[in-house]
Amino acid sequence: MTSTGQPPSLKRRDAPLTKEGDQLTITPLGAGNEVGRSCVYMTYKSKTVLFDCGIHPAYSGMAALPYFDEIDPSTIDVLLITHFHLDHAASLPYFLEKTTFRGRVFMTHATKAIYKLLLTDYVKVSKVSVEDMLFDEQDIGRSMDKIEVIDFHQTVEVNGIKFWCYTAGHVLGAAMFMVDIAGVRVLYTGDYSREEDRHLRAAELPQFSPDICVIESTYGVQLHQPRHIREKRFTDVIHSTVSQGGRVLIPAFALGRAQELLLILDEYWSSHPELHNVPIYYASPLAKKCMAVYQTYILSMNERIRTQFANSNPFKFKHISPLNSIEEFSDVGPSVVMASPGGLQSGLSRQLFDKWCSDKKNSCVIPGYVVEGTLAKTIINEPKEVTLMNGLMAPLNMQVHYISFSAHADYAQTSTFLKELMPPNIILVHGEANEMGRLKQKLITEFTDGNTKIITPKNCQSVEMYFSSEKMAKTIGRLAEKTPDVGETVSGVLVKKGFTYQIMAPDDLHIFSQLSTANITQRITIPFTGAFGVIKHRLEQIYESVESSTDEESGVPTLRVHDSVTVKQDSDRHISLHWTSDPISDMVSDSIVALVLNISREIPKVVVESEAIKTEEENGKKAEKVIHALLVSLFGDVKLGDNGKLMVSVDGNVAHLDKQSGDVESENEGLKERVKTAFRRIQSAVNPIPLSSS
Amino acid sequence: MGTSVQVTPLCGVYNENPLSYLVSIDGFNFLIDCGWNDLFDPSLLQPLSRVASTVDAVLLSHSDTLHLGALPYAMKQFGLSAPFYSTEPVHRLGLLTMYDHYLSRKQVSDFDLFSLDDIDAAFQSITRLTYSQNYHLSGKGEGIVIAPHVAGHLLGGTVWKITKDGEDVIYAVDFNRRKEKHLNGTVLESFVRPAVLITDAYNALNNQPPKPQRERDRDFVGGGNVLLPVDTAGRVLELLLVLEENWSLKSLNFPIYFVTYVSASTIDYVKSFLEWMSDAIAKSFETSRDNAFLLKNIKLLTSKSELDSVSDGPKVILASMASLEAGFSHDIFVEWAADVKNLVLFTERGQFGTLARMLQADPPPKAVKVTMSGRVPLTGEELIAYEEEQNRLKKEEALKASLIKEEESKASLATDVNSSDPMVIDTHNKHPSLDGLGQHGSRFRDVLIDGFVPPSSSVAPMFPFYDNTSDWDDFGEVINPDDYVIKDEDMDQGAMRTGGDMDGKLDEGSASLILDTTPSKVISNELTVQVKSSLVYMDYEGRSDGRSVKSILAHVAPLKLVLVHGSAEATEHLKQHCLKHVCPHVYAPQIEETIDVTSDLCAYKVQLSEKLMSNVLFKKLGDYEIAWVDAEVGKTENDMLSLLPISTPAPPHKSVVVGDLKMADFKQFLASKGVKVEFAAGALRCGEYVTLRKVGVASQKGGGSGTQQIIIEGPLCEDYYKIREYLYSQFYLL
Repeated sequence: MTSTGQPPSLKRRDAPLTKEGDQLTITPLGAGNEVGRSCVYMTYKSKTVLFDCGIHPAYSGMAALPYFDEIDPSTIDVLLITHFHLDHAASLPYFLEKTTFRGRVFMTHATKAIYKLLLTDYVKVSKVSVEDMLFDEQDIGRSMDKIEVIDFHQTVEVNGIKFWCYTAGHVLGAAMFMVDIAGVRVLYTGDYSREEDRHLRAAELPQFSPDICVIESTYGVQLHQPRHIREKRFTDVIHSTVSQGGRVLIPAFALGRAQELLLILDEYWSSHPELHNVPIYYASPLAKKCMAVYQTYILSMNERIRTQFANSNPFKFKHISPLNSIEEFSDVGPSVVMASPGGLQSGLSRQLFDKWCSDKKNSCVIPGYVVEGTLAKTIINEPKEVTLMNGLMAPLNMQVHYISFSAHADYAQTSTFLKELMPPNIILVHGEANEMGRLKQKLITEFTDGNTKIITPKNCQSVEMYFSSEKMAKTIGRLAEKTPDVGETVSGVLVKKGFTYQIMAPDDLHIFSQLSTANITQRITIPFTGAFGVIKHRLEQIYESVESSTDEESGVPTLRVHDSVTVKQDSDRHISLHWTSDPISDMVSDSIVALVLNISREIPKVVVESEAIKTEEENGKKAEKVIHALLVSLFGDVKLGDNGKLMVSVDGNVAHLDKQSGDVESENEGLKERVKTAFRRIQSAVNPIPLSSS
Repeated sequence: MGTSVQVTPLCGVYNENPLSYLVSIDGFNFLIDCGWNDLFDPSLLQPLSRVASTVDAVLLSHSDTLHLGALPYAMKQFGLSAPFYSTEPVHRLGLLTMYDHYLSRKQVSDFDLFSLDDIDAAFQSITRLTYSQNYHLSGKGEGIVIAPHVAGHLLGGTVWKITKDGEDVIYAVDFNRRKEKHLNGTVLESFVRPAVLITDAYNALNNQPPKPQRERDRDFVGGGNVLLPVDTAGRVLELLLVLEENWSLKSLNFPIYFVTYVSASTIDYVKSFLEWMSDAIAKSFETSRDNAFLLKNIKLLTSKSELDSVSDGPKVILASMASLEAGFSHDIFVEWAADVKNLVLFTERGQFGTLARMLQADPPPKAVKVTMSGRVPLTGEELIAYEEEQNRLKKEEALKASLIKEEESKASLATDVNSSDPMVIDTHNKHPSLDGLGQHGSRFRDVLIDGFVPPSSSVAPMFPFYDNTSDWDDFGEVINPDDYVIKDEDMDQGAMRTGGDMDGKLDEGSASLILDTTPSKVISNELTVQVKSSLVYMDYEGRSDGRSVKSILAHVAPLKLVLVHGSAEATEHLKQHCLKHVCPHVYAPQIEETIDVTSDLCAYKVQLSEKLMSNVLFKKLGDYEIAWVDAEVGKTENDMLSLLPISTPAPPHKSVVVGDLKMADFKQFLASKGVKVEFAAGALRCGEYVTLRKVGVASQKGGGSGTQQIIIEGPLCEDYYKIREYLYSQFYLL
């Protein structure tokens, strides 16, 4: 990987030299130059890993899926899910149940626990709007059985693919995966944040630098305000709105950042008693269900929350009450409502928005990243009018504030993260095309040494890289007693397990591996009544080394042939052969068996001859047929004439052929000679050895 | 060439004393486990005290006293200051176990071997790892990778794998193969042929009865009470789940109480350790969000007063300590032992030399001597005496303080540079006190009074005023850079400090004990308790039994085996067994005897050149791929040995037959091919005439030839060749 600024085409030309197996391909099937439906496909050394399996929240049905038809799901070994958000995990039930995928799926404990609740909710919500459901609740249930859990830092190995995960900070249970295939490391960050907040830890910095870093670029070159300033703006907006008698709508996705905002609000309310008469509602039954998960997996959270947990559960809010539906909501006086979905596409947040948008006392706080194409994105630009759900236009008078709490890395975090890691290859995903482009340009100016390549593939656009991995082997055991000098030879068994190689002597195989060796001793008895000396004589004609001795136990004579097979006269009627299996000994023994049988055959001659006669007759008939057929092919019209002669007629000339003697009678000399020669040749082909000599 | 490995037991060999071993790998000293017994006998720690300062890292395997009890003491007394590694549950539950011990002891004696602060301090510096996390040590231990793996037995229990240069040293004690209600079985069996395995012989002679017998069904004979002496946060979790389930299934309504000083926080923490528990528990949480440790039938008690208020009538009490030496179990036992209706149910073998062990003897003793001690508030004369003493101390102190202050105020009036705070000086006055805890309040009062003692130089009482004069040098005021350090961290630090202190979330009962300011003293009286209640021992200790230990050892087949922790007989028994069936190198060192288990393995690394590899055809065999290579040694640019294709024709080699033939499998295979097969006299008869035999079965995996000898014999016939063909198909020929 030393191509300093060479165009990629040069790389391609090298390709045929390196082996196919050294090519590492990364293809975003989703989230390439877009935000949503994260799905990155990676293959190296015929091992295949898929990162994330999301849907695009702005589309519905099949259109929301990543481009799964670009790949063969059955070839994927491992599927790793970074966190539970829909754009990272929601196509998983589809992928597990409706495709040929047979690999293993991993996610963290907390992710798995929330995944089920979240998707069940997603199915319920989208049932109303979408006809072509991608999956149903049964599919989710079945997918749960297939998902395996992995703890942070735990190293798992599947088919020689090693992987482990680091805290990503984005939401509860969010992970960054490091995959190690044959020593090439790829880090997939998923969504990550390097800033510690109220309940989550900051993303860890892996202690190994990866060869490739697939990193999110949601916020491109933007910079976040410091946390306390954002929190202050957030609480100030809410405080001033409610104190003026307005209502605050916070459209937020039910899980993840919402918990953080609730922690902020609950704390703020606790320290401001004057606000106690203003209710805060949290309209998400789903989040209520997930609270058990938040209360359980405190180990995935930061020290702060664990400290609080020691005293009381910080997720038992004192000032926030749940709200199940808009019917329950009595809209009198100021209030703060946090409702999903975050994009204001439909549901409760939209209902409230429609209700409140024309009053300028009200405000709407958009607390996180909003996807292109949603209403939330539209109102950030503060249009004069908006379209309500019932299709009517209404003036947008409420104040719209965009205060980002979404735990994605900003430019400062991204660049320091990458500078610490110094990966030679950076692949940007999960970012809107313009943002991504700007980020790329800015990163290029930062990494001026030129050794870092920054790539922004579009969906289905493959990035190919070559890693000429050196294969190292460890020679161990008896074979390694002496380190050899240059020019000496090394012979042994090469054992490959996963991507590690060992060379060892065959005798050591059972010590260093679970393999064992075997010796197969064969003993075969053959009936033989003749003299043992005959066998010895015949063997000596074939083999160079025939040693005779006597068996120590029984005193019977033995022969050792070719130093591998022992022939022993067991009794007057039998001899036995033994040897240890290997291809050469097997061959030697087979020849001895044949030889012994031949000797035996010569003695009872009658049997042999009768057989021979029979075959001779058969042979004769066969030969005649063959002769006839060959003559036909040569001369065309060949008939069996009277007195057993063959009539060959060519262009009106006729030749008579006597099959026994080979005499040919014909008026045409030319034909006569040709038939004669043909017959002689046929004869010599059919009966190569004249019968008389036998 | 191999990595040098030395093992020195510090405690717990040839007996069942606590575990503590020093393992040195290429000069890097690991202290693995740091245990103490329930009697807290400092003499056991002698060997540790001698090496404590040389330890580079401490690995903890389980959260009970036998594995980590000596940690606070060793940190304080022996200067053990190495970083600690453990799993989160071992850290957390270990901390609670130590709290419980301390509180139980403090209640009944002037326990001064270590204090709560020592415990906190000891557990603060732990690095927490998760299972299968490969942690790369840095600095002196560069190149060493440590990884905890599931051991079973206790929540978070660890089998430590220490790897250097591809050689594994595995420390596995108290593992459990059987999957339990809350724990998965150990993964020890997944390790194959480690260079060194250190394991215990604790259970070598114990064989568990088959499972059905163990299923408990407890009758309440005539309304008696049941006492289960348990540990603080280890096996008790399994027992709780078993009881909880039984009670729900059979809808029993006898109350169950779980009494330790830390029971409430134990369960609180355990609820958040789902990641570490069995798959079944994780699954039930994922699907229904039912946390298994939301105990419905079991009440948690944390103090004596709560226990006393429990209504009479039959009940089950789980109380710590398991040894009956201290804690609630001790008191309850003394109270209940005399009643024949009661039952004391032991679930694990008691530690050697403890009351529990005595009671488990066969036949159980008729009567045992126990020391009942208690902390009683001082009354009458004693109280008066104490108060006088306190007053005297107070006066002395006040006098001293005022003297100091006098001096000080003089000093400050003289604008001498001394800006120290009177509070600071006050705290320097160490009170020789009867009860360090009781002192707390009074000292505080002193401070308050101090503040109002009029300086002798003043006319009227006034607030003391000290001029904080600042130093000047040639450049102006002396700047202390520390003053300008942004104290941003402070808040977090502070929060964490309190967090650390409150980590244990001391339950009210225990908290009151600590903050108890009423003067008290410890009284002890020895009494003899008639043991009339029935004593039952049920094995719930959650360790693999002798048989399964042996089979695991045979499977793991280490190159070298070190045996520790177990009675002399058990150790000797297992040693003999392993010498015969596991490997030829079995060691059972004595305390402080250093044995060298450096592997005599030779190894060197070579690079496999591309040219060579393109000619190699691998054959796949299970997880492995194998091939025969003949290669010529060459050198690469960076002076590495590399293997190149051989230039001369390869010398012939003896062919190697690789594979493991299982006669039973082969029989099935033949049967599926339509050959008539049966076992007869140790041989497999195939068809009419051919017999197949395995001789000299390689029972000793580590040594010997390790090669299977298979004999096939028969007369010359078609069957013979057919069966030979099938036999060959089971192997790979190289």
